[in-house]
Parts: sequence; structure tokens; C-alpha cells
Amino acid sequence: MLKRFLVLAAFAPLSLWSQEDLMAELEQADANKTEYAFATWKGTKVVNLQTNELPGKGVLQYTILHRFGAFNDDFFYNFMGLDNAQVRLTLDYSPTSWLNVGLGHTGFRKTYDVFAKYRLLRQSKGARNMPVSVTGFSSAYYSANRVDDGVDRTFGRRMSYVHELVIARKFSQKFSAQIVPTLIHSNLTNRAADNNTQIAVGIAARYKITPMHAITVEYVPVLNPNQYPDLSADPLALPMNVPFSNFTNALSLGIDIETGGHVFQLFVTNARGVAEPYAFTQTDGSWLDGDLHFGFNISRVFTVSN
Amino acid sequence: MKKLVLLLFLGASFMSQAQKVSTRSGFVKFFSDAPVEDITAENNQVSSILNLEDGSFAFLVPIKAFQFEKALMQEHFNENYMESGKYSSASFKGSIVDYAKIDLSKDAKYSLQFKGTMTIHGKSQEVNEKVTLIVKGGKVSVQAEFLLKCSDYGIEIPTAKKDNISNEISVTVKFEYA
Repeated sequence: MLKRFLVLAAFAPLSLWSQEDLMAELEQADANKTEYAFATWKGTKVVNLQTNELPGKGVLQYTILHRFGAFNDDFFYNFMGLDNAQVRLTLDYSPTSWLNVGLGHTGFRKTYDVFAKYRLLRQSKGARNMPVSVTGFSSAYYSANRVDDGVDRTFGRRMSYVHELVIARKFSQKFSAQIVPTLIHSNLTNRAADNNTQIAVGIAARYKITPMHAITVEYVPVLNPNQYPDLSADPLALPMNVPFSNFTNALSLGIDIETGGHVFQLFVTNARGVAEPYAFTQTDGSWLDGDLHFGFNISRVFTVSN
Repeated sequence: MKKLVLLLFLGASFMSQAQKVSTRSGFVKFFSDAPVEDITAENNQVSSILNLEDGSFAFLVPIKAFQFEKALMQEHFNENYMESGKYSSASFKGSIVDYAKIDLSKDAKYSLQFKGTMTIHGKSQEVNEKVTLIVKGGKVSVQAEFLLKCSDYGIEIPTAKKDNISNEISVTVKFEYA
């Protein structure tokens, strides 16, 4: 054995030995770097929840978010719900690689909002090990709706706020998931008995089926849901006889399609309110009743500075 | 006997240590010329070692260190094409042919060939390309320009992107060894 080894050693080309040696040296020097996870999600939103992704530094992002009418609302007459749409438009910009700020407008409740998204931790391995990425999202909404019900609606009473803490992990090239503790606060609620502050714990996952396509699923259970008067059983019920039902949790199933500067997200969801406070806490339709909405988010990015 | 072998190897490694030069800030640039857009990216974090004794050399390219003009291009490059989460680096190991010709004691410029194995995206190919070797003040630098085919390395460009990304990528490498 030893002899054979010696013979081998003697005849092996010297250059081969040194090449292996060179590569090993290079790899060793490379090993103590930190590698950050990237592209945990395709877009900055899953469907209604934020992801841990921010547009790159110096990037302006424009999004159009559509939610069509319900499938169970006269399906053929309303062309699968496509005849009714709720639209949300946003424009955001990342002045640094860790901060994104933006403005939005939503047709539902005539809402105007400002938001900020900020990177707190990045998933990494190597010299620095961090199992998850953590990103914060905070937004304030002003509802300009004209309501004539005698209730005093000052500026403050028209405000609501959402804070999300996105804890995401890219488990593999294909699979990512996140958990999103969310706080939703409305200064004015529909009824005195309603919770002004609600807590939801969103969960979401994606699976990439090709480099350009991913399937997503998102569920946002609210821990202390509010109630709404449910007229579905008897639309003509007297006010004192109206039963109340809990708002339901938003469940969405979608597909992300990436095409260069665009991300198209097509999905089915039971949440029709497009802006966060309404999507999470004021969804009255349920998947079981077929109260589903086809919807899409489209984003377009422009690099405006380096 | 075993000790003797060990000693021999130890001696050999000490000797070769002294004759190697390296860099941690080598430069690699690539350029794709397609009908819709030109894509270019640069990387200044390439490490390389050259063995002055026999002309064998290696380099290691951290894929994520490529800098693009647009952040999104960089993300797509890493995520969709190079899969750099899985294949974090590209590498070459081989040697400079006719290295014996060069004289390190005087300043000169040589046109030579380098050959060996290029590994990109987890796939290896034998390459044989031109390289310019410059000796100046006892220091060696190498420069090479060559073409790579994405398809040779299992990098798939979807049909919809054929007008944006060329299958043939022109690559420039520059290493100044110290």
C-alpha cells in the first residue's frame, strides 16, 4: 500500500498537486465571509401581507393592486366579479438599501396613506449566522370618505395604523416562509363594542415552480376579531333583531410571475379591502361561501439613481 | 519510511509556499450584448493564486459580488440564472501554457495560452484561451478576454428573455499579483 502510494506520488504530475493546493487555499480564504440570503420573495408583498423584500437602493416602485368583485355575487351577470373592482395605487422609493418609504391611495373608503418599510436583520450564514430576516413595516391611513351618519369625524378619528413585523426565512432556493405579527389600530370603529386595537398573526409561504414562477399562500388570522351586522339570512331584519357575525380571516392563494422589471401577482382571496387595515380586519366573506375575489398586484420598478 | 515521506511533503509545501503569488482583489467583468439591452457587471473581489514555479494558477469568483447597474438585474442574475444560493462561486484551475518561456527577471509582455477547467453554475468545461502576461518590476499580472456560452454551463435563458440576454457572454479578467 505504502509502496503503491509512493509510486503514485512520484509519478503524479507536480502541477496537479499544486493546482488542488491552490484551489484549496482560495476556498479556505473564502470560507470566512458572510453570505446573505436574497430574493426570499419575488415581490414586496405576498398578497395582502408585506414580505421582507425592499426595492433596491435608488429604486422607485409603482404598484397597482386590484381586487375584483365576489364570485358569489351574480357570477355570470357580473362577469365573474370582474365588473366591480377596488383599486389601490402606491408609489415608493428606497433612499437607502435598508429603508423604503411610500404613498398610497385606495378607492375603498377613499383612503390615503403613508408608509415606511425598514430592514432590521438579514438572514445570513458564514462568519455571521442569522436564521431569519426581520423587516418592519409601519403605515398610517386617512379615510376621506364622506359619511352622513351624524358621527363626528375629525382628522384624528379618520386615522388608522398598521404595524407589521415580517420574520422571514428562505429555507431553500424554492421554499420561503414568513410569520408576520401585525398590529392594527383604528381610532374610530363601527361600534362602541369593537376593539380599536387588533392583533393578527399572518403566515405566508411560497414555492418556486420555475425560476420565473412561484406559488404563494397567505393566511392572516385576527386574534380578537370585531363583528359586523349579518343581514345575509334576512336582509329586512329589524335593527334590534340583526344578528352579528365575526369578520373572517383573509386567506389568499396566488401565483407570482416575474418578467424583468415587472412582477405580476395573480390570486384569489376572500379579502376585498385592498389596503391593510380593511384587508386584515374587515373581511366578511368566507371561502366556504364562495365569497372570493380574483385579484392582482402589479409592480414596476425604475432605477432612478445609483 | 513514513516519516521520510511526510518530511518530503512538508518540505515541498514550504518550497511552493515561497513561490506563490496571490491577490484578493482580482477583477472580472462580463458583458452581454443582446438586441434589447446590454448588460454589464463587474466584480472586484476575485481571489487568485499563481505558482511562479510552474505557471499553474487558480481563481475563485464570488458570484454575489458582481455589481450591476440595476439592483433588480443583480437579483435576477443571482436568483434566476446563476442560482448563487446553490453555486456561490465560479472557479478556474489550470495553468499557463509555455510558462517556462517567461523570464521573471526583466520587464516584458507575453502572449500565451491558458488552459484548464472552468467551473460555473456547478458545471465544468475545459477551456483553452489566450492570456496576456505582464512582468513589470518583478511583479506579474495577467489579463484575458474570452467568450463563454451560457448553454455550456447549464444556464438557461427562457425564450421570453432571448432578446435581453445573450447566450454568448464576453468576459474580461485582470489579476495583479503581489
